[in-house]
Amino acid sequence: MYFHKKRVIAMLLAGGQGSRLHVLTRKTAKPAVPFGGKYRIIDFPLSNCVNSGIDTVGILTQYQPLELNEYIGNGQPWGLNKTNSCAQVLPPYERNDKKSGWFEGTANAIYKNIDFVDRFDPDYVVILSGDHIYKMDYNAMVEYHVANNASCTIAVRTVPLAEASRFGILNTNPDNSIYEFEEKPKVPKSTNASMGIYCFNWSVLRQALIEDEEDPNSDKDFGKNIIPKLLGEGHKMMAYNFDGYWKDVGTISSLWEANMELLGKEPEFDLRGGPNETIYARNDAHPAAYIDEDAKVSNSLIAEGCEIYGTVKHSVVSVGCTIGKGAIVEDSVVMPGVVIEEGAIVRHAILGENSKVETNAVVGGVDKNEISVTSKDAVVKANTVLAAGAML
Amino acid sequence: MNVMGIIFANDATTGVLTEKRTMASLPFAGRYRQVDFALSNLAAAGVRHVGIISRHSYQSLMNHVGSGEEWGLELGEGGLEYLTPFAQSVKDSYRGKLDSLHTAMDFLNEGAADELVVLIDSAIVSNVNMTEILNAHIASGKDVTVVTKRGICNGEKKIDLALNVADGEIKDIMVDYAASEAYTASMDIFVTSKAWLINMVESAVAHGKCHMDRDLIMNGWQTGVVSINVYEFDGVALFNESEEEYYHNTMALLDKDVRNNIFSGNHAVWTKTRDRVPCYYGENVKMENVLVADGCMLEGEVEDSVLFRQVTVEEGAEVEDCIIMNDCVIGKGAEVKYAILDKEVTVTPGAKICGTKEHPIVIKKGETV
Repeated sequence: MYFHKKRVIAMLLAGGQGSRLHVLTRKTAKPAVPFGGKYRIIDFPLSNCVNSGIDTVGILTQYQPLELNEYIGNGQPWGLNKTNSCAQVLPPYERNDKKSGWFEGTANAIYKNIDFVDRFDPDYVVILSGDHIYKMDYNAMVEYHVANNASCTIAVRTVPLAEASRFGILNTNPDNSIYEFEEKPKVPKSTNASMGIYCFNWSVLRQALIEDEEDPNSDKDFGKNIIPKLLGEGHKMMAYNFDGYWKDVGTISSLWEANMELLGKEPEFDLRGGPNETIYARNDAHPAAYIDEDAKVSNSLIAEGCEIYGTVKHSVVSVGCTIGKGAIVEDSVVMPGVVIEEGAIVRHAILGENSKVETNAVVGGVDKNEISVTSKDAVVKANTVLAAGAML
Repeated sequence: MNVMGIIFANDATTGVLTEKRTMASLPFAGRYRQVDFALSNLAAAGVRHVGIISRHSYQSLMNHVGSGEEWGLELGEGGLEYLTPFAQSVKDSYRGKLDSLHTAMDFLNEGAADELVVLIDSAIVSNVNMTEILNAHIASGKDVTVVTKRGICNGEKKIDLALNVADGEIKDIMVDYAASEAYTASMDIFVTSKAWLINMVESAVAHGKCHMDRDLIMNGWQTGVVSINVYEFDGVALFNESEEEYYHNTMALLDKDVRNNIFSGNHAVWTKTRDRVPCYYGENVKMENVLVADGCMLEGEVEDSVLFRQVTVEEGAEVEDCIIMNDCVIGKGAEVKYAILDKEVTVTPGAKICGTKEHPIVIKKGETV
């Protein structure tokens, strides 16, 4: 097979378990968790790639990959199945050298796929992760990287000082070059938080990955090992400021919040956008949504394939859901294929894919700090209660 | 079983709505074009070789169907072919279906010799089990199977091809006539063997005959040349053969049983993917009995209507008994009743459009009211 040389390719780390999403990732990898009515989390970095002109994406999967692999398929929904483009799923594999076996860290995952990257002979490799909701032009970041003659560029965003100790913090010179990286510092010196989005010169990263593998004490992690190592070696490293919407949806509450931030006439994060801002998703064959004459709907997103007979307020209702007569859904995220039967009440909840709330059951309560969650295919039995903050 | 499909795209009969597009590319049911139903009927039965015969105005059709990817037709072998007229014969290129099949002879001759052929139109929307129809055709041993629907013939509506069937036997066939309730109406879906069809088309055209329903089916049956199997479809068939029928049948989709039958009676209905965001319903929106496609921004009141993709209904606007196609904007305080708005129509704030149930007003694509 012949491979064209690529100037830039992207490697998307999608193998994490996402254990802080609890029951939502019991059977599903985090990047495949539904978001925003018709999307999955991975649609955002994948669409960003396409919209940035990056047409070759390696997707590293490991934890519960079945649904994720199925979803990515041949990359057709993102236009990545054409001649000279690809969305290549890269699972761990067995071979008779050190590159064999499970990915043991973010850096190790890329190390084990050096052969894949080498086939495209890229000048630059963009490292992404599959757990953030945002729209970003990666190409602008690559151009910034090139213009500054850097070996590595890290996307950063400003966080409140009080929260800075939860992040990897980059301390920079006035020209935005990085002189220090501190992982979750107790006393942060700046508010530049790493977004986990990196652009590397492939030759530099390749060498660093090989050397890091030799270090028995390394955690084989970008943030903990590769970045400090390159800094120590005196490579030029730049911070790239990004001030658009960006949300880590790694927890139940942040996933719920990010969905709520899609609501409103001028939402905090607008899924709509200009010509180069479309978020692509794999679309199922659903008809238009039906809103019954007894339904009451307000300040909500409702996707195609839904049948709404009850009340929906301030919620995101995904494709193919049914909400029965007299049912009330408020401040909730309803994932694809959910059935909420007559008279059921759902408040401050995330209902997992194809889960069911039977007649007159009650899920959740009035406190937005206590989100109730149902897992994929779960059933809340008729006339029962799933308490605020409880998981099923 | 080797099966090929031929879809007829034309016969534009819905007035201004099909001035610049084929019946096949007429938008229907919020997010589809009529050809999607024919294509999906074939795709669900695993048909991987389809030709679309189109005489004119096929730009929107080709734009929509593209490579046929959504219907599994983007294939190295077989797949989708557009059978458009040869350039030198643009003027009134086909006089009838047999004529058009004659010009598509190269396409018919492709592929396995033992193929069955499904001929299907785009003006009649249905969700049939094509596998069952094909099996019924083979079991019957007849030359041609005609798929029909009872309850369409009413003594008023002119029917292209009506058959009087009693005790499993055809008693009478009529063409272009307002047949009575005793007759069952052709849904313009036919199954034949390829060899038989090629033979009949060549012979008919050589005798100056071009009309499929009249020359092949009716005369063939009358003269004992053609044996016919009738497959009566028991699901919903929507005959969109005039503006009024198109309006009435769209409104029929607001009924749950009709909707379920059309969208999932036997299989899903596939269409070209447009990556639109889910519909946003505003704070003070009022929705009653409405079908809504993705990408809409709704803040006004909508009742008994079908909204296509990316429609905006601003605050205080009222929409009742309407079909609103893609990218229309209904301005603040505007009132639209009993109307069909073609794509990209803008109704300025405060404007009023009011048709009647029998005669809905049609606003042309791109106009501003």
